[in-house]
Amino acid sequence: MNRIFRSKTMCPIFSLASILMCLILSSCEEVIDADLSKAEPLIVIEGSISDQSEVHTVKVSKTIAFDQPTKFNGVPGAKVTVYSSNSQTYTFTSTGDGTYKSQRFRGTPGVSYILEVITGGKTYKASSLMPAAVKPDSINFKKLTFFGDSKLYPSIYYKDPPRIQNQYRYIVKINGVLKADQVSEDRFSDGNATSDLITFDGDGVVAGDKVDVEIQCIDRNVFKYYFAISQIGGNGGPPVAPSNPESNLDNGALGIFSANTRSAYTISLK
Amino acid sequence: MKYIIFLFLFILAATKGSLAQDSFTINGVVTDSLSGETLIGVTIKFSNKSQNGTSTNVYGFFSYKLDPGDYTMTVSYIGYRTFSRSITVDSDKRIDINLVPENSIAEVVVTSEKRNDNVVSAQMGIAKVNLSEIRNVPVIFGERDVLKTLQLLPGIKSAGEGNSGFYVRGGSADQNLILLDEAPVYNASHLLGFFSTFNSDAIKDVSVYKGGMPAQYGGRLSSVLDIRMNDGNKKEFTAEGGIGLISSRLKLEGPIVSDKSSFMISARRTYADAFLAFAKDESIRKNTLYFYDLNAKANYQIDKKNTIYLSGYFGRDELGLNETFGFDWGNATSTLRWNHLFSNRLFSNTSLIYSNYNYVIENFIEENNFKVSSSIRDLNLKQDFQLSLNNSHNVRFGLDLIDHTIAPGSITSNERSSVNEETIEKRNGNEASAYISDEWEINDKFNIVYGVRASSFFLRGPGTFNLYDSQGKITNSQIYSRGQLVKSYFRFEPRLSASYLLNGVSSLKVSFTRNSQNLHLMSNSTASSPTDLYILSSNNVKPEVADQVALGYFRNFNDDKYEFSAETYFKTMQNQIEYRSGTDLRGNRNVEADLLYGEGRAYGIELYIKKRFGKLNGWIGYTLSRTERRFDALEQGKWFFAKQDRTHDLSVVGIYKAGPRWTFSSTFVYNTGNAVTFPAGKYQINNQTYFYYSARNSDRMPDYHRLDLAATLEAKPGKKLQSSWSMGFYNVYNRKNAYAINFQDDPDDSSKTQAVKTTLFGIIPSITWNFKF
Repeated sequence: MNRIFRSKTMCPIFSLASILMCLILSSCEEVIDADLSKAEPLIVIEGSISDQSEVHTVKVSKTIAFDQPTKFNGVPGAKVTVYSSNSQTYTFTSTGDGTYKSQRFRGTPGVSYILEVITGGKTYKASSLMPAAVKPDSINFKKLTFFGDSKLYPSIYYKDPPRIQNQYRYIVKINGVLKADQVSEDRFSDGNATSDLITFDGDGVVAGDKVDVEIQCIDRNVFKYYFAISQIGGNGGPPVAPSNPESNLDNGALGIFSANTRSAYTISLK
Repeated sequence: MKYIIFLFLFILAATKGSLAQDSFTINGVVTDSLSGETLIGVTIKFSNKSQNGTSTNVYGFFSYKLDPGDYTMTVSYIGYRTFSRSITVDSDKRIDINLVPENSIAEVVVTSEKRNDNVVSAQMGIAKVNLSEIRNVPVIFGERDVLKTLQLLPGIKSAGEGNSGFYVRGGSADQNLILLDEAPVYNASHLLGFFSTFNSDAIKDVSVYKGGMPAQYGGRLSSVLDIRMNDGNKKEFTAEGGIGLISSRLKLEGPIVSDKSSFMISARRTYADAFLAFAKDESIRKNTLYFYDLNAKANYQIDKKNTIYLSGYFGRDELGLNETFGFDWGNATSTLRWNHLFSNRLFSNTSLIYSNYNYVIENFIEENNFKVSSSIRDLNLKQDFQLSLNNSHNVRFGLDLIDHTIAPGSITSNERSSVNEETIEKRNGNEASAYISDEWEINDKFNIVYGVRASSFFLRGPGTFNLYDSQGKITNSQIYSRGQLVKSYFRFEPRLSASYLLNGVSSLKVSFTRNSQNLHLMSNSTASSPTDLYILSSNNVKPEVADQVALGYFRNFNDDKYEFSAETYFKTMQNQIEYRSGTDLRGNRNVEADLLYGEGRAYGIELYIKKRFGKLNGWIGYTLSRTERRFDALEQGKWFFAKQDRTHDLSVVGIYKAGPRWTFSSTFVYNTGNAVTFPAGKYQINNQTYFYYSARNSDRMPDYHRLDLAATLEAKPGKKLQSSWSMGFYNVYNRKNAYAINFQDDPDDSSKTQAVKTTLFGIIPSITWNFKF
């Protein structure tokens, strides 16, 4: 998977170990031709409902072969509807390329949303419970030193609500370029004033950078989905044997449907 | 308990009954004439009209019953001059023997004595490497390594490039019982698997059972690796050691009381971090990265009937990053043993064993500081008896009691930290096993070892024990008090191994083995890790059970100069464990909720030919095999390859003594790549590329092959200080073997995705200076 995915690890043991190994053993990388098996295209659904008053989006697509140019392989003509536990029905309309948009509305924390997508004669369903919002107290930059190399990374400070299982997702862009998509949970810090450090490959944050941080509060299944993706990449231990992350969609669809709160901040390093 | 009483009655009756016979017992201990070390597995033959014999046990002891008469007693052991004498058997006798090492290399020893134990013995599925092979076989960084040398034998496969982990006959890494002086070693590797914890200086004997395990061993499905430490030189003080690129080592041994008591102490430390001290940057100098091993042993022979041994191992890895965090892990084991002769035919060993593995992770970053510690600890009492009943029966029986305590994780932090203190409940379990086996020479052609091991396991409180349904939901939760029984299991494990001699040089063998396992390693990862988590069998997790049938053909050629074997096996495994994708094992109090249970099967054929003597010796091992798993919850319940499945596996080892001073050696290995899962397609979510995986482990890593060379130059003989230089090249033709293949967006063109191969080791030279005085 892409290196953008990370989860909050209790400590960067394995990244350290791999750095040491690289130093000592001078491992090398090269691009090769891999002989990959081909599978029948599968339906992929990505949808989210946020607590912002906005147009919400559901995307329906199909997988493509590994050697094809990467693109969004949209599936038009699907019937997309979201039902809420407070008896609302939202109909999504196709924009023609596999993207489906709702009317402007605001999702409500504590409410379950059920996504229903009908395409190719099959019905796919997923449900997600929007958690309560947790707002950050502050965001600043923190210095990490790895083998004499000091870099700055965004650190998000917040007070975790006690006795509630909370999951967070952070999407960080630097100068408009996506750098990190990271999840975190309060398993070890329930109820505390705490911070999450967002690390990523490259030079960290340097003077003059514009940093966009999006903070989501996500439900447990959505967290597990992103955590599984980060595990395949080797975060939180040695890489695990890859498999498809457990999706909350049924009927064999790939992807994820998330009802989440969302807040966005822009900061810059002077 | 009934069973045990029956067992003792049987033994008693057998001892009584045999007293009436007109035969006598010859027993004794075989030692090395120079060091006084006892020798393991020495063949002892008594011949008059027919030829019968036995071999020494792991303490160098033998005992054999003979009818009165005149015999020629022949004692032979590879690397030693064969000893022969005539004896008259007219009473019980103790005959201790000193064997003289064959130290002149150029001399080709011609002996009329048959060295065909491998053909005659009923035991099959056993693999042995001797220490001179370990010394001479080329290894990465010149670090001699028992485990890496074993991986060159058929049926034993390396867990990965430069890795000391191994897989035996399709089993996983945690299904190997690794014993150091009888103490289980839970994490047998250093530095994330690149070095084994066994410092070969301290080792006397290494045996691996791939199948047909004798009944005295139990507790793991795949194999038993039995490593015995040196006792220490009883005759004189010696020191030996070596200085290498990665580590230095030193061993001291000598008598405490001459011929009665001796000690051995051996240490090794790596100094990869020594180079860090030269760094300009202070923050680099403050990093730590090293490991060390300490082996120590002492023995005291109280009298001819009683000997006491105390041995221990302590090893640790230390990683530290510039006051940001620290990580250290290691094993500690100790074994106290008492050898006692109840009679000249009944040998007893009592062992009290302690083993502990733990790791500690510390994060020093101010508001997130914490310390995690985790451990697994065993206390073990073993009682083994060996009784030579008469000429044709050699009986072993005993008891094995183990107390396991697992502390999965405990988190502590200071009051300013945002990390909460938390301790995951400890788990306590007891294993109690009894075994009996008989090695029976039915006639000149037919030998059989048959026995049974009865294993029981008891999971005990205190703690909260949940019961989970197949979806991982808690269906019942119950609190148990200290010592209260939560769940128990009983397994009956028959063991059988038999040989039929076709003629003087060839035999057919067959074996059946059942093993059970109550300690399970949770590992879904592609590499071994110091933080790997062990769990006990429980109300959710059933004991793993494996049944193995093996058939073999053994033949020696050219006066036993060459040995050949072909073994084929079929193994089934029940209650195998995997966990759901996305499971976080760290600090998880409900690990068992995320487990999936299935079955496994493995089969294959192993061919082995070895040249045992002469200037050029070595072996070729080839394995054709398959290992598969089936889980109801995975792959629609279809069979899929286990990750360690490799169709072909070939090793060629050659050692050439080019004269009194030079020894050259070379190994070549080739194997099919492991079974892996590569993407079958891709899709986009949030404008990022995601990969889609179809059938599990249906793809293959590229084939692996490598050639290594080494040379050893001994200093001119005759001086008090003996020294030698060992030089070597790992991966001589610089093959870029794939360690991992990752898939990612092409950094130059994000519309493309690419496969990136990581190679760990290209050609690596090494040099070590060894000394002894």
